Amino acid sequence: MTAVQATGIEKRYGSLVAVSDLTFTAERGEILGVLGPNGAGKTTAIRVLTTILEPTRGTFSVAGLPHTKPEEIRRQIGVLPESAGYPERQTGQEFLRYHARLFGCSKADARRLADELLAEVGLSDRGGSLIATYSRGMRQRLGIARALVNDPRVLFLDEPTLGLDPAGQRQILNTIRRVVEERGSTVLLSTHLLGEVEELCSRVLILNRGRIVAQGTVSEIVRQAGAPRSARLRVATEDLDRALAALTGAAVVERAEVANDQLGWLTVTLGRENGRPSEELLSDALRTLIDARIPLLSFELEGARLSDAFLAMTESQ
Amino acid sequence: MTVATETAPRGATRGWLVVAGQELRDLWLGGRALWLSAAFGLLLSVTAYLVATNTDLNFLEQRESVNVTMQLAIAVGTLLTLLAAADAVSGERERGTLENLLLTPVSRRELAIGKLLAALSLWLAAFVVTIPYVWVLGHGVGVVGDALVSGFVVGTILAIFLASLGLIISLFAGSNRISLSLSLFLLLALYAPTQLPAGAKRGWAGDLLLRVNPLTAGEHYIGKILVDAHSWSEDISWLVSPIVAAVGFAVLATVLGSRFIRLPGGFQR
Repeated sequence: MTAVQATGIEKRYGSLVAVSDLTFTAERGEILGVLGPNGAGKTTAIRVLTTILEPTRGTFSVAGLPHTKPEEIRRQIGVLPESAGYPERQTGQEFLRYHARLFGCSKADARRLADELLAEVGLSDRGGSLIATYSRGMRQRLGIARALVNDPRVLFLDEPTLGLDPAGQRQILNTIRRVVEERGSTVLLSTHLLGEVEELCSRVLILNRGRIVAQGTVSEIVRQAGAPRSARLRVATEDLDRALAALTGAAVVERAEVANDQLGWLTVTLGRENGRPSEELLSDALRTLIDARIPLLSFELEGARLSDAFLAMTESQ
Repeated sequence: MTVATETAPRGATRGWLVVAGQELRDLWLGGRALWLSAAFGLLLSVTAYLVATNTDLNFLEQRESVNVTMQLAIAVGTLLTLLAAADAVSGERERGTLENLLLTPVSRRELAIGKLLAALSLWLAAFVVTIPYVWVLGHGVGVVGDALVSGFVVGTILAIFLASLGLIISLFAGSNRISLSLSLFLLLALYAPTQLPAGAKRGWAGDLLLRVNPLTAGEHYIGKILVDAHSWSEDISWLVSPIVAAVGFAVLATVLGSRFIRLPGGFQR
């Protein structure tokens, strides 16, 4: 079942085109990663889909509701806006209670819901503190709790890990994962953390300059981008220079360098020869070493990364 | 797990009431309104003390003292109301808190109404603070009742007008500073005719100027009741412009609010 369907969405600010011809779907229960460099139109796209901005052109539906019913759509979605502000003089509990009441909860239900959500995002012990005293990570978790206040069918998270340290990022991503597992919501996740997207998202949408440049699963995107694959080879340390020279001259090798992290290892970026499979290219590279009589101690083929595909798709345009 | 209902539940508190309730808590428990009201009380105390006890400064007749106090209450009360309303949308935009509000199913019109009601509380507080002063100053000349009722009616009409004006400015202002400055400037411009020399207020042009300006018309009406002991109906025509302004601007504020409470370039529904 389709949770989000966008068809030809365009958003203009005067002559500036922020988003153009945005067409995609997100299925129920999936986590769709929305990627793109700064200014690619991610936030505008999310603001259009969450009915905050009116599209200049195009249509969309969210949770089966057409974009002509923004108030009904807002009942079905939860949103963590990018860099949202929070009322500093309210406590986390008050903030959640207020928003629960705006969604139609009674006073008693709102209080109960606020307590449950604070517990769900790990803020139970700080619920009574003023938001002014919250760290950035705590505010982000409060924002996620706010986004869950109406048990949304679709969750839009715009840069939920922005400005957080690695521990904070991990905490937020674990929260998102748990929410999806427990609630079965569809999630549109806009982030710069490509590694986490690979780990979390079932499908990915890459935006650049307001347009979709790729969409699909991570492996489909990588294939579409034709991003180079790499391999790691291990030789004896005394053979390192000879191996490097031999591989650098090989036709199938685009780049070869000594790995910095482990002694005796070389990192080899394989070329893109007429779409030949990476395994064949690796065999040719290995044959180069064998022909040069350099004993090979170990090797492993690494898959192309989403980050390589992302850079290939966004830098080439 | 408790959840908010997916459709507007029957019997749920109206959105504008929830918004007004939270805005009131933010205004009064956050401290801003409480401090402003306390400062106003101090100002009234000084004024009342001077007009009531200082023989050199006590040149005002008792009815006139009550009139001055009530005019001061209306001026300060409506000023505070205007500033609270002028902060209502542009302030939320600037603090980044507007987007979370717009993401709720509460309509923009209800947001506007809730914020207007909360802003009006500042006038009501100023009025309540004024009651004992009017009672002390007007005791014994039978003006207290008239002063409180006429002051409340005219002050409320003017507060509705100015709160609506402030909200409209706040909708379109590029920044909160512009919204507050423009509102203050307009208020001073509206009060400017009160400073004209008596000669300029005479004749049909002077009369028209005072009548079309809701603030001067309201002030004139109260003055006639409190100082000249006119009946309520004698000068009722002076209330036309305040009432028209209050109703007109309140309707305009809610209509415009339903379209323009938004982020730049945002939805107009």
